[in-house]
Amino acid sequence: MLDWWLPENVSTYGREIDWLFHLIYYITGVTFILVFVTMLAFLVMYRDRPGRKARYTHGNTTLEIVWTVVPALILVILTLLSVPAWSKIKMTMPETDFVVQVTAKQFNWQVTYPGPDGKFGTADDKTLLDEMHVPVNKVVRVILKSQDVIHSFFVPNFRMKQDAVPGREIRQWFEATKPGKYEWPCAELCGFGHSGMRGWIYVHTPDEYGKWAAENLKAEAAAPATAEAKADDPKKEEKAKK
Amino acid sequence: MTTVTVERPRRANGHVPPPPPPTGGGDGPDREPGPRRPLLDNVRLAMLFLICGEVMFFGGLISAFLVLRVTAAQWPPPLQPRLPVGVTGVNTLVLLASSVAIAAASPALVQRDPGTLVRRLLLAGGLGAAFLLVQGYEWIRLVGYGLTVGSGAYGTTFYTVIGTHAAHVVAAVVWVGVTAWLAACGRFVDGQTGALRACAIYWHFVVALWPILYVAVYLV
Amino acid sequence: MSASSATAHAHDVHAGHHELGFVRTYIFSTDHKMIARQFLFMGLFMMVLGGLLALIVRWQLAWPETAVPGLGGILKETGGILEPSTYNMAFTMHATIMIFFVIMPILAGAFGNFCIPLMIGARDMAFPFLNMLSFWVTFSAGLIMLSGFFVEGGHAAAGWTSYAPLSAVPSYTGVNWGQNIWCISLFIMGVGSMMGSINYITTIINMRAPGMRLFRMPLVIWSLFITAILLLLALPVLTSGVAMLLFDRTLGTSWFRPSGGGEPLLWQHLFWYFGHPEVYILILPAMGIASEILPVFCRKPIFGYHAMAFSMIGIAFLSWIVYGHHMFVSGMSPALGMAFTVTTMIIAVPSAIKTFNWLGTMWGARIQFTVPMLNALAFVSMFVIGGLSGIFMASTPVDIYIQDTYFIVAHIHYVVFGGSIFGAFAAIYYWFPKMFGRMTNTALGHLHFWPTFVFFNLTFFPMHIIGVGGQMRRIYNPMQYEFLQHQQHWNVIITYSALALGVSQIPFVINFFWSLFAGKKAPLNPWNANTLEWTAPSPPPHLNWGATLPTVYRGPYEYSSPESRDDFLPQSTPPVGAAGARRH
Ligand code: HEA
Ligand code: HEA
Ligand code: CUA
Ligand SMILES: [Cu+2]
Repeated sequence: MLDWWLPENVSTYGREIDWLFHLIYYITGVTFILVFVTMLAFLVMYRDRPGRKARYTHGNTTLEIVWTVVPALILVILTLLSVPAWSKIKMTMPETDFVVQVTAKQFNWQVTYPGPDGKFGTADDKTLLDEMHVPVNKVVRVILKSQDVIHSFFVPNFRMKQDAVPGREIRQWFEATKPGKYEWPCAELCGFGHSGMRGWIYVHTPDEYGKWAAENLKAEAAAPATAEAKADDPKKEEKAKK
Repeated sequence: MTTVTVERPRRANGHVPPPPPPTGGGDGPDREPGPRRPLLDNVRLAMLFLICGEVMFFGGLISAFLVLRVTAAQWPPPLQPRLPVGVTGVNTLVLLASSVAIAAASPALVQRDPGTLVRRLLLAGGLGAAFLLVQGYEWIRLVGYGLTVGSGAYGTTFYTVIGTHAAHVVAAVVWVGVTAWLAACGRFVDGQTGALRACAIYWHFVVALWPILYVAVYLV
Repeated sequence: MSASSATAHAHDVHAGHHELGFVRTYIFSTDHKMIARQFLFMGLFMMVLGGLLALIVRWQLAWPETAVPGLGGILKETGGILEPSTYNMAFTMHATIMIFFVIMPILAGAFGNFCIPLMIGARDMAFPFLNMLSFWVTFSAGLIMLSGFFVEGGHAAAGWTSYAPLSAVPSYTGVNWGQNIWCISLFIMGVGSMMGSINYITTIINMRAPGMRLFRMPLVIWSLFITAILLLLALPVLTSGVAMLLFDRTLGTSWFRPSGGGEPLLWQHLFWYFGHPEVYILILPAMGIASEILPVFCRKPIFGYHAMAFSMIGIAFLSWIVYGHHMFVSGMSPALGMAFTVTTMIIAVPSAIKTFNWLGTMWGARIQFTVPMLNALAFVSMFVIGGLSGIFMASTPVDIYIQDTYFIVAHIHYVVFGGSIFGAFAAIYYWFPKMFGRMTNTALGHLHFWPTFVFFNLTFFPMHIIGVGGQMRRIYNPMQYEFLQHQQHWNVIITYSALALGVSQIPFVINFFWSLFAGKKAPLNPWNANTLEWTAPSPPPHLNWGATLPTVYRGPYEYSSPESRDDFLPQSTPPVGAAGARRH
């Protein structure tokens, strides 16, 4: 019932999250139905009627062991299934040459591209406000920082969320699989402007991205990131993955 | 016939003390549910749990201190005054001595010697107060050297953690003072020693906490 | 049907031969039953406030930036339209009030005080004076919390979790004294709850009536015992945290401010180290209450008494090592996150045991659908829904997506309203006769229960849906986001039913006060229950029983026992024939 309600998924690991979501949805759904049907049945069957006598029993050890062990097993399996996706999303960092730095502040996302030299903190860095442009099918690494309070980088369509903590640099990644314009809200309460702190992430085809980068990232070298990155914009259209 | 067994002598303030617990929990056999002495009486039990709570309170503070300290690049930070390890070490002994004085008070009670009881309580309180005075003096010097609550994590943790302990010592000194006064008025010799024992337990707790803080904050 | 003959000796009691004045009887009373009533009134009063704040929140979410009816007089500059900062204040205080000043006072405060001495057969708490003090300290904390609404800059607005550094630096929210007052009030509340919990624990350990072994205690006493231990150990951590936060704000320390070498995540660790045990503090008494009421109206012993007690102990232990599930995407080490997934999944097992044991209690029963029973059944079913939604979040990858969405808000309310509040209602209806000596009105009880149950679900179930749709919590105006606009109609539906849910409480208010003064006089044991409180007069006098305390011969749930001609066998009825048959 909730399946069709999830926003469209356009990221690689989003599929795994959605799969787990649905799995848990079915497990809990079945549990829910079992519990409720049993309960309603009992309520109807064993309602107080004249002449009814309640069964005098204090329990049943076998039953109790069963209903301890079965849920425990289900939960262990769920844990085991959750671990790989989690470690893929949060504990590993795929190789990539596309790095952007996002600095949150009350109440904007500041997106910094390293410029032609491929380094942050140099004069040719280019900073945008509340918008990020990335090519499709490319691993994007985000260096997440905050200037003031905690914010949270949330892209519903990417199934991605990560808090930005002042005083820390947190590295994240995503890979979008479909070009488009995706809303990019802040998901952690960060003050009176929290609601409405929102940016857009534009996922471009490699061609479009090249064009955009050439126009907007001071395009002398026509490259968004490092020298290698230059190669995959116009040329290696399809498989620019490492 | 239905008189309730609760008519106990009123205290001066008109408050009727509740009757003593008829039993100490009923884990005895069914057949003769007679009164049993509990393992620990109410006062000691309550103090034990109070200390559990206090331990969690200080646990919060100390773990927060350790987190800041471990994650700091350098500790103590450069250009910040060093803490007075030596003086405080001696002061630690003063505080430990006060615990001995408290411990020595209970034999006086057994011997029904209110004079000695009061003197030993006052001695403990005095040692506690001396500890506080030395601490206060050192604080003033540290502030003079420029270490304040505002000087980063170092000052923050030092003053908060040590200050919280000092507040506990203040409370303990006041409590011991009140207890000594009550003892001087002749309380406790009649066997109603709950308040006295509670005070002593609390005192030992406050003293026992200090060496841990001393090691964590001053030494390591 | 009043009392079984064996308990008749408890009738003619006239306690204390001295008259206490009005003040000592009703205000500064040391009688645990009066303190229980005081906590109950305080909690119910605060619930109206917390509920009205929720309705303000709901109004804004359904019809953003339109004037909230009734607020025109208060928010004069805007004519009743909420500003974002006012909105943040509204949900922050909604949650703070509901958790600290509604559920804790009612479940732990009122029913802890009322049930513990009466159900273990003690004359009062171990420390009656401390007990009184604990109420007045908590009460002052409540007053202080309310005073925050009147200070310059408004009340705290950083969420009930008050994440630093948002809460640690006044300029980030524009709130100055409000947040300080929040800290001070919770600090004082922590002191009050410590007094209460020490008292509860000591009383339960040391003051049980003859024969009341640990494993003959009613489950509600078990639950309160465990709750008190959690309170004792969890609240001080919050107390230390709010003290540090207050120092950061007022003295310029830098515990949580990165600019001075502080660590923002430290606050979250401290808060959730308290916070997760706290949510079990909110639910455990309700679980105990349900375990108490189900057997009575099933006329059947509780299924698996020992498993019920041990599963609560298990929950209490595990609650200390799951807190990190609130911080999966906070920047905490992902490896730690993985560990917390494991523990969080495990903590669902004791809840499963309890749920199935409740079902087992209904199996083969003779179920009487009284008002307390209906509320207890609502508790069981709604807690299951809330618990099952917890499994989604326990799975770290799924939590990445649903963290900080309305899915969480739905979870919160299914467990705290569906769980704790239905538990509280059940307890109020069940013990009202003993507490106030009068029966509540059954028709009004049904008129309260059914609409509450229906509108509760209509209010909070759709929150799962909009949460899955991506709506974030704590946002002022969902219409600011394009991807949320297509589901705004749900927000409108939710708000309508939240308003109806509020109106559904009116029969309760009427019932409560009407029964208080004009209800039918309650007999000694209106529900034919087994536990000791029903052997004391209704309402019990000071010191509860006459000259002798009841003696306990068996466990609390001997319903429909073959040993007795009635379908109940009170704990204090001496066994016929061979003395001391061992059973529970
Ligand atoms: C009374 C309060 C209460 C209770 C009892 C619970 C119970 C549980 N909670 Fe909940 N929780 C809250 C109150 C509560 N919670 C609050 C207030 C928040 C939000 C705080 C904030 O951020 O403001 C929160 C948030 C919260 C989060 C963080 C979400 C986030 O912010 O991202 C998580 C994550 O794991 C979680 C998990 C759980 C789990 C696994 C349980 C389990 O204990 C549930 C166990 C019960 C069952 C599972 C149902 C019965 C069992 C069966 C029928 C057996 C069969 C089941 C299976 C085989 C699956 N809760
Ligand atoms: C502990 C218990 C508790 C309870 C009982 C409730 C009860 C309710 N809550 Fe609560 N809520 C929380 C705890 C609770 N909540 C928490 C912890 C949060 C998270 C806060 C945060 O993010 O920091 C939260 C957040 C929260 C939000 C999300 C806000 C946001 O993130 O932006 C919403 C939104 O709908 C909401 C709504 C409601 C509603 C409609 C009720 C209703 O059930 C209330 C119904 C009750 C009444 C209305 C009172 C009775 C009234 C009368 C008797 C008088 C007569 C009434 C009328 C005339 C109408 N709550
Ligand atoms: Cu930034 Cu919310
Ligand atoms: Cu939790």
